[in-house]
Amino acid sequence: MRILLAEDDPDLSRQLKTSLQDAGYVVDHAPDGEEAHFLGDTEPYDCVILDLGLPKIDGVSVLEKWRRDGKTTPVLILTARGAWSDKVSGFDAGADDYLTKPFHTEELLARLRALVRRAAGHAQPLLVCGGVRLDPRAARASVNGEPLRLTSLEYRLLHYLMMHQNRVISRTELVEHLYDQDFDRDSNTIEVFMGRLRKKIGTDRIETVRGLGYRLKPLADEVSDLA
Amino acid sequence: MPEKPTGWLASWLKRKVFWADRSSQPGSLVGHLIRLASVWFILALVVTSVTLTGFFHQAQLERFQQNVGQLADNLYSDTDLDMDGKIVPPSFFDTRTQRVYSGLYWQVSEVGANGEVTVQSRSRSLWNDDVPVPADVLADIRATPGRASFYDVTGPQGAPLRAAAIYTLIKGRAFVFVAAEDRTMMDAGVRRFGFLIAIAMVILALGSLAAIFLQVRIGLRPLFKLTGEIHDVREGRKVRLDGRYPTEIMPVANQINGFLDSNQEVLERQRTHVGNLAHALKTPLSVLLSSSQDADENLPDIVRRQTETMRGQVDHHLRRARAAARSQTMGERTPVEPVLDELAVTLEQVFRSKDVVIDWRAPEDLAFRGEKQDFQEIIGNLIENACIWCRKNIRVTAVAEADVPFMTVTVEDDGPGMPEERYDEVLKRGARLDESAPGSGLGLSIVDELVRAYGGELTFDRATIGGLKVTLKLPGARV
Repeated sequence: MRILLAEDDPDLSRQLKTSLQDAGYVVDHAPDGEEAHFLGDTEPYDCVILDLGLPKIDGVSVLEKWRRDGKTTPVLILTARGAWSDKVSGFDAGADDYLTKPFHTEELLARLRALVRRAAGHAQPLLVCGGVRLDPRAARASVNGEPLRLTSLEYRLLHYLMMHQNRVISRTELVEHLYDQDFDRDSNTIEVFMGRLRKKIGTDRIETVRGLGYRLKPLADEVSDLA
Repeated sequence: MPEKPTGWLASWLKRKVFWADRSSQPGSLVGHLIRLASVWFILALVVTSVTLTGFFHQAQLERFQQNVGQLADNLYSDTDLDMDGKIVPPSFFDTRTQRVYSGLYWQVSEVGANGEVTVQSRSRSLWNDDVPVPADVLADIRATPGRASFYDVTGPQGAPLRAAAIYTLIKGRAFVFVAAEDRTMMDAGVRRFGFLIAIAMVILALGSLAAIFLQVRIGLRPLFKLTGEIHDVREGRKVRLDGRYPTEIMPVANQINGFLDSNQEVLERQRTHVGNLAHALKTPLSVLLSSSQDADENLPDIVRRQTETMRGQVDHHLRRARAAARSQTMGERTPVEPVLDELAVTLEQVFRSKDVVIDWRAPEDLAFRGEKQDFQEIIGNLIENACIWCRKNIRVTAVAEADVPFMTVTVEDDGPGMPEERYDEVLKRGARLDESAPGSGLGLSIVDELVRAYGGELTFDRATIGGLKVTLKLPGARV
């Protein structure tokens, strides 16, 4: 397992490097954002530990660059700022996990293990419907290359629609697959989630078939592109 | 007082407040007021003088021409033709008609078949001159025989005359009777009147401008005084504004005092927080210091515990300080839906190993009346707490209250819940119900503090899906 540690504090990086090596990882260290970006761009890491307050280029920018270039390496963010607004912007930039300084080394190692395990899950075929792509293994979806930020219920809904694209699916069927147990909150649950999903992937991609249900289909120009 | 009147006047003249400065808004309030008042006032004065002079002129003229009208009338009614067809004018007793070029004249003319006018008889005062009858006047009086028409004409020696002419037929012959009087005296009178009016108006204008000027300066004096006082406060000579102001300015002074007080209060609170924090950090630091000297074998444990404590303290005070500084801000609105969406996505990712499902509902048009960061902090901490305790499911619901400007947000989880008798305890700073679950234990007390800063409420209950239900009352609005 090869790991990139991007951290500028010399004491903390030395400690972390030792702990990580003790835990059996191969560790590369980058003391600033520039080097971190270069290494992450060129070397095949299993996971990246990224401090947000890096010199030269800050962590969020480095992460955004990677994600724009299509890098899917799991990234765990370290930061001293623990407000929810900071966490949200970190995840927005494409982080997979988040740890607030100061932290216990054990907690870092535990989260790292979880990240690597998740990333190494069974390969499953990528689902594609026009410009919408869904990767069931990483639980990620994108529209025209732009990553989508979906809640798990929205993701479940999109996943089910993607698996049955071009088919009309009834509300009852969708509700059954949305919730594990049958505690449907109210009658317009599906409408609410459809509305949010449409807002995120584009209104025209999901068609409402009156009285029958919904159908996911590629956009008209996307079909002609394939032909 | 900010400036000496002379300096102020000089700068006012330099800036030509009256006209040139108009484009450069907002400019000076004094300038605006004076300009507005004087434009209106001077306009009113000009209109008044023109109208007055006009009326006076009209009245004088009417009185003046009564005389010639009378004369023309007498001429018309008393003139006769003798047997030979010659004109026999009446005899007038007014000696002015006898004295040459006296200024009062009459004449009788005959209008020929081709419209040519020949004077048949004239007053002695006319000597050999005529009072001309212009063609348009002739046409005019022909249309109304027997009635006098008045007109202006130049008479003997170039004198301006006011004349009255009457047209009539006597025994088949057409005659024009004209009486005229030199109007020089009357015109001079009217001119003198206009001149006097003008002088009076100019004096009035100057006086009033000075009055407007003074009134504006004196009227705005409380404002200058306020500026002076604020300056004193900034310079540290005063703590708050204590001057007495007119009822229009007093609210401003009160508001400024309010600001100063709240500023003082925030400062005071910050000072307390810094003091508290410093104090709170000193204990762990001294423990660390002494342990390091003793080379205690439990050193790693001690270091961990003490740094944990310090982290908690730092977090707590940072958030408190922020809450204290922000609770004063007004007018900000944060749409609820996007914040819930962001937090749900983020927290599901943080707790992915647990596969947490956050089911949130909020009307699209609902907004929190406050800062986005505070709302994120309140809701984020509550959902995080729910994530820690839940088995799998979390429900977040935001609804607008029917008629008051508040909204209700509930966060429920399907975890083990909390015994009722401990509801109060959790809000206490740093209290943690179960040491076994991760978390600094500060989350809920910070939420409570923020909610209170916004005038809201935090209550606990049992959730319908099993665990704890946290209900928040927060300032809300429809966007």
